[in-house]
Amino acid sequence: MKKDINSNRYIFLYATILIIVVAVLLTVTALWLQPFQDRNAKNEKRIQILTAAGIPDVNAKNAALLFEKHCTAEFLLDENGNPTDDNGLPVFVIDRQTSVIPMQGNGLWGPIWGYLAIAADGKTIVGVAFDHKSETPGLGGEITTEKFQGQFAGKQIMENGSTLPVEFDAITGATKTSDGIKEMIDSTLEKYSAYLKKFAAKGE
Amino acid sequence: MSNAKKLIIEPLRKTNPVTVLVLGICSCLAVTAQLKPALVMGASVTVVTAFSNLIISLLRKGIPSRIRIIVQLVVVATLVILIDQFLKAFAYDISKQLSVYVGLIITNCIIMGRLEAFALSHGPWESFLDGLGNGLGYSLILVIVAFFRELFGSGTLLGYQVIPQSFYEAGYQNNGLMILPPMALIVIGIVMWINNSKTETK
Repeated sequence: MKKDINSNRYIFLYATILIIVVAVLLTVTALWLQPFQDRNAKNEKRIQILTAAGIPDVNAKNAALLFEKHCTAEFLLDENGNPTDDNGLPVFVIDRQTSVIPMQGNGLWGPIWGYLAIAADGKTIVGVAFDHKSETPGLGGEITTEKFQGQFAGKQIMENGSTLPVEFDAITGATKTSDGIKEMIDSTLEKYSAYLKKFAAKGE
Repeated sequence: MSNAKKLIIEPLRKTNPVTVLVLGICSCLAVTAQLKPALVMGASVTVVTAFSNLIISLLRKGIPSRIRIIVQLVVVATLVILIDQFLKAFAYDISKQLSVYVGLIITNCIIMGRLEAFALSHGPWESFLDGLGNGLGYSLILVIVAFFRELFGSGTLLGYQVIPQSFYEAGYQNNGLMILPPMALIVIGIVMWINNSKTETK
């Protein structure tokens, strides 16, 4: 008996089986690989935090160890800049002096994020680390390069107790991504301003 | 020339997917601002074209012709997602490099084009070679375009400075237009012109 591969019955059967096979395959793979992927994502986060804080030579292999060694405190802040137990803004303290805060924003095609490391005086940037989901390689994607991130170190973000808008050299051909970076830094500083003001008060 | 060799060599010039068939132009604009992303994209498309060609060729006798495009799309998308998942778990750095391209690979017309035009009517081994050849042909154009765009747009190649500092001191400037997508179209046009004027067509 020869099957008619263009009969409706066959087409429905074919499509159903194909979809089930593909769905099972993808689900099994995703569940099986989930722990490995989570570990990588967590490691990546640590690498970014340490890199922003200026710890040299961080890589996937030594990130966990270095993080353990350098991260002296990790807490959440409420809206007044005081430590709280839940639902707050996270802060990572590196070597008892540098505060590293996470940032989230939007680039041209998708989310961008990163970490901002602020010195113990509460107004000087120690370093930054950016990453992105889908910016154009070679244009917006350049925000992850040393060349772009390097220019942020040493910039002042606080003056007379209020946050300053950050200024930097944008990337040619990637205006929207550069705008996104600026927006992201400014809004993050705004959110953390209560916390940063405390440093200023202490220093004076 | 043996058949296998022909399948690999011809798509490099004579039936090049970019310059002759004019497929995959949008990704050519997107990833050729620098050489490194162009190489990564070329390699990924080559792998996916070769293997999706192989799978579709194996399935070709059972695929109902009325839903063949959907079946092809499902196979390509599944393949790309699987590769991406594995890289995320075991080669995180490469996956970070590749993340942007995943969407671009799935929608690349070259892959669908080869599945439609070749894999549906040829055996698995031939289809695999055809996919490989077309992927390499695509990579070749990407690399040529990216070479000129990075060299004149940023003065670097693979991120290394190649235009000496003394040039800049003498007043030389990087051409900002090279970085922008329109210039990619112009460079592809020139590559197409040179390639097609030197290739005999019947």
